[in-house]
Amino acid sequence: MAYTSIIDWITGVYSQHGWADPIQANPYYPFGDAYNLPYDLGMKLWNIIGGAIAWLLDLLFPGNDVSTWLVCDMTNNIFALVLFMVLVFAVVFVACLISLWEERKVLGRGMDRRGTMIGMWGFLQCVADGLKTFMKDNVFSKKVDGMTYWWTVALIIGTSVLIDCMVPLSPRWFVVNYDAGLLIIMGLYALAPFFILVSGWSQNNKYSLIGGIRAAEMMISYEVPLLIIIATAALLAGSLNIGDIVMAQTKHFWYVIPMFVGFVTFMICATAESERAPFDLAEAESELVEGWQTEYGGMKWGLVMLADYLRGACSCGIIVLLFFGGWNLPFMEWTYFLGDGIASFHQNFMWWFPAPELTFLLKAWLIFFVMIAIRLGTGRVRTDSILNLGWKVFMPLSILNLVIVLIFKLFIGGVF
Amino acid sequence: MSMEYIEKYRDGRHKCWKDLWIVRPIFVTLKLMAKTTVHRPITVLYPYEALWNPDNYRGRPGLDFNKCLGCGMCAKYCPCSAIILVDTPDDAGKTVSRPQINMGRCSFCAYCAEYCPVDAMTVTPIVELAEYTRADLIYGPRRLAYENTTEGMKVRNEVTLYSDFQNGKGEIRQSFFGLDRPELDEKKCISCKKCQKVCPTGAITMVEHGTNAKGKPILWPEVSADKCVSCENCVSACPKSALHLKEVC
Amino acid sequence: MTDEKKTQIPDAQAIAEGAEVTKEMVQEYTSQNMDMDKMWITMGPQHPFSHGLWTLKIQADGEIVTDADPIVGYLHRGWEKEAENRTYPKIIPMADRLCYASSMMYTHLYCMTCEKALGIEIPEKTKYIRVMADEINRLQSHLMWLAAVGTDLGNFTAFLWASREREFWMDMNVRLCGARMTTNYPRIGGVRNDVFDIDLDMNDEEKSRFMRDIVRCCDHFDKALWDIIALIDNNSTFISRMVGTGIITREQCANLGITGPAMRGTGVDFDVRRDDPYDGYDLVDFDVPVLSAGDSYARYMIRVEEMFQATRIIRQCVDKIRSLGRSAPYRLKVPSRIPAGKTYCRIEDCRGEAAMYLVSDGTDRPYRLKVRSAIFVNVSSSRDLLMGCRIADVPVIMAMIDMCLGETDR
Repeated sequence: MAYTSIIDWITGVYSQHGWADPIQANPYYPFGDAYNLPYDLGMKLWNIIGGAIAWLLDLLFPGNDVSTWLVCDMTNNIFALVLFMVLVFAVVFVACLISLWEERKVLGRGMDRRGTMIGMWGFLQCVADGLKTFMKDNVFSKKVDGMTYWWTVALIIGTSVLIDCMVPLSPRWFVVNYDAGLLIIMGLYALAPFFILVSGWSQNNKYSLIGGIRAAEMMISYEVPLLIIIATAALLAGSLNIGDIVMAQTKHFWYVIPMFVGFVTFMICATAESERAPFDLAEAESELVEGWQTEYGGMKWGLVMLADYLRGACSCGIIVLLFFGGWNLPFMEWTYFLGDGIASFHQNFMWWFPAPELTFLLKAWLIFFVMIAIRLGTGRVRTDSILNLGWKVFMPLSILNLVIVLIFKLFIGGVF
Repeated sequence: MSMEYIEKYRDGRHKCWKDLWIVRPIFVTLKLMAKTTVHRPITVLYPYEALWNPDNYRGRPGLDFNKCLGCGMCAKYCPCSAIILVDTPDDAGKTVSRPQINMGRCSFCAYCAEYCPVDAMTVTPIVELAEYTRADLIYGPRRLAYENTTEGMKVRNEVTLYSDFQNGKGEIRQSFFGLDRPELDEKKCISCKKCQKVCPTGAITMVEHGTNAKGKPILWPEVSADKCVSCENCVSACPKSALHLKEVC
Repeated sequence: MTDEKKTQIPDAQAIAEGAEVTKEMVQEYTSQNMDMDKMWITMGPQHPFSHGLWTLKIQADGEIVTDADPIVGYLHRGWEKEAENRTYPKIIPMADRLCYASSMMYTHLYCMTCEKALGIEIPEKTKYIRVMADEINRLQSHLMWLAAVGTDLGNFTAFLWASREREFWMDMNVRLCGARMTTNYPRIGGVRNDVFDIDLDMNDEEKSRFMRDIVRCCDHFDKALWDIIALIDNNSTFISRMVGTGIITREQCANLGITGPAMRGTGVDFDVRRDDPYDGYDLVDFDVPVLSAGDSYARYMIRVEEMFQATRIIRQCVDKIRSLGRSAPYRLKVPSRIPAGKTYCRIEDCRGEAAMYLVSDGTDRPYRLKVRSAIFVNVSSSRDLLMGCRIADVPVIMAMIDMCLGETDR
C-alpha cells in the first residue's frame, strides 16, 4: 500500500464499498465465526492509529520496513487484541464506577442526605477517590508474610476483574464464547475465598484472620445454592452457553417467572457471594475493623474495594443473564444491531450503537438498585445465622426451585 | 395504652424474627428515598449554607469596649481561666484594664457574659474560630468587639431572693449584682485606700472618721450601694482582710 | 498446673545482667503459657465498636467469647480532684463535660446536690424546667444510642435517621440555653434563664416560640420515632441479633450493681425518677417500662419506650410551665459558701443511676466531690454479659450499655 496521505488510511478503513467485513477480510480473526464488536473497534482504531504512525514514519524515512510491519495483518491483530482488552476493561470499569456512584447516591437519598456531590451529579467523586488512593503511601506492616500478602490481593483483584470482563454484554461483546461460559465465570468466582483466607492469615492480624475465615466459610457455603440454580437455568435452556440461555428466554419468557424462588435465592446468595451488606461480615466494621482488608492500605485498599464492586456488578450481570433475558427485551431481539448474519453487520448505519449492551447494563444497574435497597434496610447478619441460612434455607430453596423446574419440564413441556 | 410501644412489640417480637422479614424496612427507606429525590434532603450544605442560630447562641464572647468597667468579674468566674485583664489604651488614650480571652482555652460556657454586671460582655454567634497558631487564638479586648450585638445576646442574671421566695414574694426579681455589698470590719481597717483604687465603678469613697493617736485622719471606705456591682475587688485587695462581702439571701 | 513447675524466662534486666535464655526455655515457656485454641483479641482503645477510648480484651475460642476484660481509664482527667480547686459555680460547666451526651443530667445532679447541702427548696417552675431539660437530654442521649446501635449492627440508615431526629432536640437545646451539647443550663438554686426569656421579640408568653416549638418537636418526634423503629423492630436482621444475646438475670444484676435500662430489662421494677422522685418528677405522670427477658432486645425496647415517655413528660412540663406563667421565680440567690456536711444525691441518668457525694467544709469550694457513674459499674459487668456469646455479638451487647467514657473515667 502506498503511504501517500493519512486520508488514505482513514478512508481505507471505510471505503466506498462500505466497511470491510471484519471476519472475512481478516485471516487471523481470533473469534471464529462470531462477530466481536470490541475487537472490531480495536482493529479499526489500530488501523487509524497504526496507519497514521506508519504514514508519518514513511514520510520521514521513505520506504522503511517498520511502516510495513505496523500495518501488516499479523501486527494489526496483535495490537487490535491489546486495544480490545483495554476497551473491554474500560467499559467494565466505567460500568462499575457507575454502579458505585449509584450506590452512593441511592444510599444517600435513602438516608436523608445527598450522597456524593462533586461534578456530574456526584459521579466524579468516584474518580477523585480513585485518584486519591493512587497518591497514598504504600504502607504495610513489617510482620506480614510478604509473598502471600502481595500475591493474594493481586489475585483477588485480578480474578474479580477477569470475571467481570468475562460476563458478555451481548453476542457481539464478549471475551470468550465457550459453551460452558457460566461455569467458567463461577469457577473463577469460587477462587476468591481461598485467596481471602490466605490473605487474612498472611497479614499477621487477628481481625484479618477472623475476617478471612468468615469470608471463606461464607463464600464456600453460598456457592452451592448458586451453582444449583445455575444448573437449573441451564436445564431449562438446555445449554450452559450464555447466548443460548438468553435466546431461550427471548423466545419464550424470562426465567424469573418459573424460577422466582430461584431468583430470590440467587439474589441473596449473590449478595453474600460478593460480600455486600447485609452479608458483609467478613469486613464487619463494628467488630473486625475492616476484616480481612485491615492491613491493606492506600492503593491496595482502593483496588480491593474496586474488586468488591466488580464482583457485585458481576453478580448483577449473571442475574440479568439467568433471569431477566440478558441483553434482549421481552419478545424482541436487537436484530438491527446484532443482525441475523455476519454479512449484514455493516449494512446498517447505526451498527456501532451499543443498544443491546446498554440494555444489559441498565438491567444490571436495576438489579444493583435492589441490592442497594437491601443494604439500606438491613443490618449485618451474624456468622452462625448466615451459615444456618445458607445451608438450611437457601440450599433447600434452590433444590425446591430445581424440583419446580423439573415439574414444569416434565408435565407442561411445550415451551420448555 | 400508656406504653404503646412496649405493648405492641412485647409479644410479637419472636414472630417477626422467625420469618425473613426485611420488606417493611426496605419499603420505609425507599419511601424516604423517593421523598428526598423529589424534595431536598434534610442536610445543610455547610460551607455554602449555615444553620439558623438564635440570638442566645453561645459562640465566642463579644465585648463592648466602652461599656466595660474592667471589674474582672468575667476573669473571676471563668472556669477555664481563659480570661485575664490587660492594660489597654482606650479611645481617649487613657490606660484601662480590659479582658483578654484565650479562645484556645475557652469552653463557651458564657459565664463571662452571664456575670458581667453591665452586659458589656455578650455571647456572639461566631463559631468559626480556626487559626493557624495558638497565638492567633488570643483575643485582645479590641478584637473581641462584635458590632451586631442584639438584646438577645446579652445574658441576664436575675435572681429571686430565697427569703422573698419563702415569703411568697417570688415575683420579685433583682439583678445579681445589686445584692451583695462589701462590709467593713472597722477595727481592722488601716485607711490604706487600696479599696478605693481598685474599685472599677468608683463606688467607694473614703470618709473621715476622726483622727488617730498620731493625728492622722482615720479613713473608712463607704460603699455607694447604687454604684457597686459586687465584684469583690476591694475584698481581695484589702491587705488586712477588713472587707468582706455580705451575702444577701 | 502449679506455679513451681512453670518455666520462668528471665526478664530484660536479668538478661542485661548476664542471665541466659536458651531456645528450649522459650519453647517450654510457650507451650505452658499459650492456649493455642484460645485467642485474646484486644478491641480498642481505637476501634469502631468502642464509642470512646476504652479497651475490651476478649478471649475467643473460635467465634465464641470465653472471657472478657474491660480496661477503662484512658480519658481520666482528674475531674474529682479538679473540682476541689474550684468555687461551686465554676463546677457547673465542668459537670457538663462529665458526659457529652447527658450533660444536662450531670449538671442537674450537681446543682441538686449543692441545693440539698444548702438545704433550700427550689421554685416549682424551676423544677418543671429542669425536668423538661432533663427529658430533652434523655431523648438526645437515647437517640445517639439508637444511632450507635445502627452502626454497631451494620446499618448506616438507622444511624442517620436517629441523628436527624436528634438534631431537632439539639436545636431545642440551643434555643433553651445557647449550646447544643455542653448546655451549662442548671444553676445552684435555679436555671440559667427563664424559658420565656428566650424569644425576646415575642414577650407574649402565650405565644412564646420556644414553648410552641417544643410541643411541635414532640408531635413530630412521636411520628418519626415510629419510622425509625419500623426499620429496626420489623427487621429480622436486627431482631435476630438482639433477641437472646447478652442475657443477665435479676440476681446477676443485683450482684454486679447494674442500673438503668439494663436493670429494668431484667425485670427489676425500679426507677429513681418514680421511686425516689427528685425535683418535679413526682408532679408529672409517666410510666416506667419493665421487661423480664434480660437480653439486648429488652434493653433496646426499654430505651425506646423511655423516649416515648420522655415526650409525654415534656408535654406535661410545658403545660405546667405555661400555667405558672412568666412571673414565677426561676432562679434563687444562693450563698457562695456551703456549710460543712456530707450530702448524697442521685438521679436517673440516661444510662443508669448517677450519684454525687459532696463533702463540704464551709468554704466556697468542695472538700471532696465523688461521682458515681452508672456506666463505670455497668461496663465492669461486661465479662458476665459477654460470656458465651459470639464475637459478632460483642458490639451489640456493648452498644446496649451505651458507653460514654467521659463519666466513666472522669
